[in-house]
Amino acid sequence: MTRRMLTAFIALVGLFIALYLTLYKVGVIGTLACGTGSCETVQLSRWATFLGLPVAAWGAGFYVIVFALAFAGVQDRFADSRTRALATVVVTGWGVLFTAWLTYLELFVIHAVCRWCVVSGTLTVALFALSLFDWRQTKQQSVESRPA
Amino acid sequence: MVGSGGDKRPFYFGIGVVLVAGIAGLSYMSTRKQADTIIQLDSTVAHVPNQGHVIGSDSARTEVVEYADFECPGCGSFATLTEPDVRTRLVNTGLIRFRFVDFPLSMHRNTLNAHLAAWCAGEQGKFWEMHDIIFENQDRWNGEATSNPDAALGELASHVGVNMPQYRSCVSARKYVGQIQANVDAGNRAMIQSTPTLIIGNKQVKGAIPYDEFKRQVDDVLAHQTAKPAAVPAGTKQATKASSAKTKTK
Repeated sequence: MTRRMLTAFIALVGLFIALYLTLYKVGVIGTLACGTGSCETVQLSRWATFLGLPVAAWGAGFYVIVFALAFAGVQDRFADSRTRALATVVVTGWGVLFTAWLTYLELFVIHAVCRWCVVSGTLTVALFALSLFDWRQTKQQSVESRPA
Repeated sequence: MVGSGGDKRPFYFGIGVVLVAGIAGLSYMSTRKQADTIIQLDSTVAHVPNQGHVIGSDSARTEVVEYADFECPGCGSFATLTEPDVRTRLVNTGLIRFRFVDFPLSMHRNTLNAHLAAWCAGEQGKFWEMHDIIFENQDRWNGEATSNPDAALGELASHVGVNMPQYRSCVSARKYVGQIQANVDAGNRAMIQSTPTLIIGNKQVKGAIPYDEFKRQVDDVLAHQTAKPAAVPAGTKQATKASSAKTKTK
């Protein structure tokens, strides 16, 4: 399995986590499986909404974009595209920054940690790391294949 | 090539498996019955007719009923994001009457306290003010924020200006637990499975729908009826009447 395939899988798993939290936030799912965590405290806080939409819905959008970029990278047509690789780095990098902001809010403002958010944050960091490796490799191959 | 080459069929197969499993999981969670999570109240309390709290004109063209749990985040979203527009544009204009019916769920530790608090404020004509402030401050009194919700709810009640001795006496006596139970029973008879659930015309609409969707559903009902007021659901009385559209929007 290539890094891009792994990226696509991780993004898809993240998408379903984000959808789960979004459906909970809008009331379609009544119970949030959170164990001993504080998911509801986080979900009920005013920080759970960003620009009028649940934060989880923004997360779902993020994972859809990363999945699409990774899936495209698996196709021959975009396999050597540096633009695609760079776009993945930019999007996942933005995701890491947003995750860092949310984690700060959980730890120091809301004083509660949502397990699902921790899982999603871990996936986002993994996606960023994979995209960085992929970008470096794409760049390297592009230089090597350039005629002397 | 970096990311291609080789047999991709296992990859597509894996993606397909994750997609099917994810969709199946979400479908199961969103449709599973929650009857076993409905709160169990004191069975020795005498039976009373179910009542809701109503806002809007008696002559409104139709009535929308909401089954809601004060501690449910979806209900909070609906109350704070959609309801202000509903009241301004549909209730105040006489198009609809809006009825709030208690449907507290046992998964929410402090929700019954909030329902009792709202009823006790309602006793003093402040139900909707309390309703709004309870939803706006869910994070202050919910089951994960405090084990003493009555203190936080009392502060909110004080903020809306109720007579506090009367309010405290009402809350500590659990005066309206019978009415809340009656509303839960009504919800069970109406096959309510999650909150918030809206009854618009003959449709059960689940979730914290945005205003545009709410309006679309109301328009659909109005388009299919003659210009007569909708009948109040059987066995339902009005606990709070507003002859003219009374709105409190924060």
